[in-house]
Amino acid sequence: MNAVVLIDTLLLLLVTVSAIAIIEVRSLYSSAMLTGVYSLLMALVWVNMHSMDVAFTEAAVGGGISTILLIGTLVHVGREEKPLKKRLHVPALIFTALTGAALIYGTLDMPRFGDPAAPIHHYRVPEMLAQTVGFVNKTPGKQPAPEGFDAQQYRTFDGRVKDIPADPTDTAWRENSPLRTEGLLIPTVPYQHDAHAEPGHHLHPPDDFNGHVPNSVTSLLAAYRGYDTMFETTVIFTAGVSLILLLRRPRREGYLQKGAPLGDQVILRVVTKMSIPFILIFGFYVITHGELGPGGGFQGGVILATAFILYALIFGRPALYRIVPPPVSDVLTGVGVLVYSGTGAACMLLGGKFLDYAFLNTASPGDGEALGMTLVEYGVGITVSMVMLTIFNQLAEEQSK
Amino acid sequence: MHWNEIVTTVLLSLGCVISFSGSYGVIKLPDFYARLHAAGKTDSLAQLLIFLGLVFVTPDLLTQIKLLLVAMVLLITAPTATHAITKAAHLDGLRPWTKSERGGRP
Repeated sequence: MNAVVLIDTLLLLLVTVSAIAIIEVRSLYSSAMLTGVYSLLMALVWVNMHSMDVAFTEAAVGGGISTILLIGTLVHVGREEKPLKKRLHVPALIFTALTGAALIYGTLDMPRFGDPAAPIHHYRVPEMLAQTVGFVNKTPGKQPAPEGFDAQQYRTFDGRVKDIPADPTDTAWRENSPLRTEGLLIPTVPYQHDAHAEPGHHLHPPDDFNGHVPNSVTSLLAAYRGYDTMFETTVIFTAGVSLILLLRRPRREGYLQKGAPLGDQVILRVVTKMSIPFILIFGFYVITHGELGPGGGFQGGVILATAFILYALIFGRPALYRIVPPPVSDVLTGVGVLVYSGTGAACMLLGGKFLDYAFLNTASPGDGEALGMTLVEYGVGITVSMVMLTIFNQLAEEQSK
Repeated sequence: MHWNEIVTTVLLSLGCVISFSGSYGVIKLPDFYARLHAAGKTDSLAQLLIFLGLVFVTPDLLTQIKLLLVAMVLLITAPTATHAITKAAHLDGLRPWTKSERGGRP
């Protein structure tokens, strides 16, 4: 048993234990904290799978802000779970067991964990390795695919080029795939910048991003399935709007007169004042850096929101409202979605399709992609942070009634 | 074995020992404050030693600086969190455990 499998087994065991504990524990505070533990463990599982972007999101959203929001909710519903009258609900048990069995049956058809012959490694990864995801549609303004590139081929360890079957669902081929023994999914063309390398000179691609942004996850999220990400942002926006409509009440006199709850705690005040600039810088770094490494609008937006929430917790909501008044955060919630769709519309005005970022800089499509994705990530970041802030404000406002 | 690997081994081992003793203390110590004391050591000292140990085997300067920054941030925020929890418990009226109160037995 190798180390990765061992660590994975241990982590998944702990995940299961914490999931059972969340259900069994009577105190809702412990339950909320355990969900944070659960998310952090899942983040570790994903780090073990080398999917840093997912791990980052899980740590920031699951371990960070949802724990805060859950505890905020607990202030309204009380600390203890009501004891159940009947411990066993037979129809629910049968339904759960059936759903679980169906899910397990579904996993039987999936490729084994880390299987080099899995379909994703034939049909998407070679293109990503060759940085040619965007080349598939031959839109004018984009760079042409490199000479001789064929996503349906792979190179074996000894340099021979072999074909991948055209049918992604060909499980028989997958079972006996030569990829398991002799294959390596090296694209059949060298990286483009290799051709432009001069001896003694730093490898420099024709444009700064070799026709594509370096983080293939962001490339997939913002370009390949950019519509999807846009509507994910819209879902968050809708959540924020419905929360405002459902929970916000007209302001009564003196709703802001309540003093800062923790304002007299010197150590907390000082450390908060010290750390908020760094949290904000880190949030902006994560958003801006999204197309270069792990990170992006969702994680960065959540981190920005935690800075504001921390400020409100220590100095009180009146102080927060002086910095970000509710009308401002309401408007910014929409501005984020507008920035995203506006970037798409700008691409259309410049002659491309919706969200076809290469048209933002036709002289250097890679730079255009990077620019478009940065704008889009900022749109996501603004919406996410402001919606999180609105949720927190609403929870806190209810509580101080 | 190069000198930096020796330094790393020593620092990581020390970090692991402190981390282990911290978790042992959380289980074994008698009351809330004492347990938090043990947990606080894991948060501040153990992580500092582990991050310092990693700095010595990281070839890249940028990564080294990032590791040190993370260690510094944790060094400031972790004790603050411990302080906040302790203060909250104190304000909530939780009395520290003393020998006389429970007949000398935990």
